[in-house]
Amino acid sequence: MDFTVLIFLSSGLFLGWSLGANDAANVFGTAVGSRMIRFTTAAAICSVFLILGAVISGAGAAHGLGKLGSLNALPGAFMAAFSAALTVYWMTKASLPVSTTQAVVGAIIGWNWFSGSITDMSALFKILGTWVACPILGAVFGALLYKMTVKAIGWANLHLLRLDLYTRLGLIVAGAFGSYSLGANNIGNVMGVFVSSSPFTDFSIGNLATISSVQQLFLVGAIAIGVGVFTYSKRVMMMVGEGLMPLSPVAAWVVVIAQSIVLFLFSSITLEHFLASKGLPTIPLIPVSSSQAVVGAVIGIGLLKGGKGIRWKSLGSIASGWVTTPIIAAILCFIALFFLQNVFNQEVYKEVRYVLEEAVITHLEKEGVAMEKFSSLQDREVIGGVRFRDLLREQMMLDGETEDRIITAAELFPLHVSEVALQNLDRDYLTAGQAAAVKRLTGRQFQHRWQLSDALSDQSTEWKRKEDNKLNKPFNQHLKEQLAYLYGLFEASGTQVSSGD
Amino acid sequence: MTANQLALFGKSKAMEGMIDDFLDRISEGGLRFEHGISAFVDSGLSERWEEKVAQMRELEREGNQLRRTIETHLYTEMLIPEFRGDVLSLLEDLNFLLGLTEDIFLAFTVESPVINEPFKNDFKLLVATAVKTIESAVLAGRAFFRNIAAVRDHQGKISFYEDECDQISTRLKRDIFESDLGLDVKMHLRYFVDKIDSLANEAEDVGEWLAIYSIKRDL
Repeated sequence: MDFTVLIFLSSGLFLGWSLGANDAANVFGTAVGSRMIRFTTAAAICSVFLILGAVISGAGAAHGLGKLGSLNALPGAFMAAFSAALTVYWMTKASLPVSTTQAVVGAIIGWNWFSGSITDMSALFKILGTWVACPILGAVFGALLYKMTVKAIGWANLHLLRLDLYTRLGLIVAGAFGSYSLGANNIGNVMGVFVSSSPFTDFSIGNLATISSVQQLFLVGAIAIGVGVFTYSKRVMMMVGEGLMPLSPVAAWVVVIAQSIVLFLFSSITLEHFLASKGLPTIPLIPVSSSQAVVGAVIGIGLLKGGKGIRWKSLGSIASGWVTTPIIAAILCFIALFFLQNVFNQEVYKEVRYVLEEAVITHLEKEGVAMEKFSSLQDREVIGGVRFRDLLREQMMLDGETEDRIITAAELFPLHVSEVALQNLDRDYLTAGQAAAVKRLTGRQFQHRWQLSDALSDQSTEWKRKEDNKLNKPFNQHLKEQLAYLYGLFEASGTQVSSGD
Repeated sequence: MTANQLALFGKSKAMEGMIDDFLDRISEGGLRFEHGISAFVDSGLSERWEEKVAQMRELEREGNQLRRTIETHLYTEMLIPEFRGDVLSLLEDLNFLLGLTEDIFLAFTVESPVINEPFKNDFKLLVATAVKTIESAVLAGRAFFRNIAAVRDHQGKISFYEDECDQISTRLKRDIFESDLGLDVKMHLRYFVDKIDSLANEAEDVGEWLAIYSIKRDL
């Protein structure tokens, strides 16, 4: 077992711990804050279900490496995870519910800034949009659902104790489901980047089951999240469940459900596909964050009650926490990377090279991109995404989408479909036709990702991207993840020029 | 989740039953009070009276025990965290009514007031009306647990009967003091009239508190 991997893994565990300490409040904060469920009970349920979610459902998505997967050197990923974790820890210490994903995105921006990589501006706009849209949606759904629930309770005429029992059960069930999806959705961010360097090996329990190295890795990550829940999540829970506004038990339940509904309706590709396949109008997908939806739902109920109970000062602190989280994570990551590279002499990023060679130009022209303006850049190798983009802009200002297409196509990413790599191919992740197509490419080498993608779609229609529409979105999304998996698998190691200083 | 907490879900129904039992005791206490005083007015300290006093003592003991059990369970099992305090006050106030009926019974036993014929009917009427305030308070209490909208109706009835009690007691006291009885007897009877009337006042307090608890329960 490589000792350095364990050191790098520690930052993932720290991020997991921070995530548990902060995000458990989204699922159990209102239940604990309204004193319906004891903290220890909530922490126990939350830990168990998030571990199940991470190991059962999270491992299924292990091929998508999470957001940190875009970082191309392990020490860099270590520092980005560490910066995000430290930021979330500070926010937790200040009892502020923040989005761990946004802290991770902030840290990645810091890494991009340091490595001269291009930051996807849409990621920034997504975060900005989440700060505004998510609380509003949470508030609207919280208020509506609260009104409906109160009416239903009035109609049902339940005994006070029976209502108490049902509310408690509702909070436990909603919390358990929430914890399961918390584990399933976030384990990729916590551990995904370490999948390829997992220090574990698969082992079998008799003939009953095999526990893969990824599942073991995710189990360790999930345990770290669980420890975070137990040791440090109470203060954020009390802020969400009590500090923002005193909540009745019924309101506490409504908040959890409203948050889940907002997340499901506005971020589920499956739902969009289902509606589109039935010929029904679809709900626009927007970036959502559970921390922000929960706070919105609490405020929505508060406003419905006249707004008197809302502690605006606490809300102000929370909102400022949202804004500062990605900023702090970005700055922290930048500074930390500087030290890691120059003091500890670690390779924090691999240089990415871009070249507009003949093949790239032909490929882009086939896709309808006019390339004649860039002839002066032909065959010139450029190091760093930002530099390459600036050179493109010097020639001609393009719309964002076209610019992205040129940059993506020009990126050098040597690939080698080697026998050795093929042995590690997870055939269960591909269809039989897809796997056969990959096998037919044995021995082939490519300079760009799109070349492998094109070669595969020439081999089999199962590798062909379908027309862009809502119905085909899940297929195309899955295809993109499968291709990303292959790029990682066949990446020709050592062929890229490594640099850190 | 501990086994204790799982068991809690099964205990919820038992708790509902205990609260209903407790309210039944208060209601029964009111009826026994009415029958007992009526027996005293008709035949003084008789064997029947002693029997009623014993029954009332037993009821009061049972009521106290139930109240303590309910209170302990509410706290140890963290039930209805938001309304626990209100429920405890409600139960204590209702239990106080039961205690008060027992006190009055004791006072009748120890002091054995002489109730002359002209006052007997009004005494009985005063007791019956005071008991109606207790019954309405019990109904309001039940409504607090089961049908919050009905609390207001029952509270209105408590106020109505309490007002009736005030009128009857004032009339009765006026009649007592206008009679030829000695001042000592008049004051003695006045003490009992006031004591019975205080039942209605206490029941009215329960109703008023319930109205406040209901506003809080209005989610």
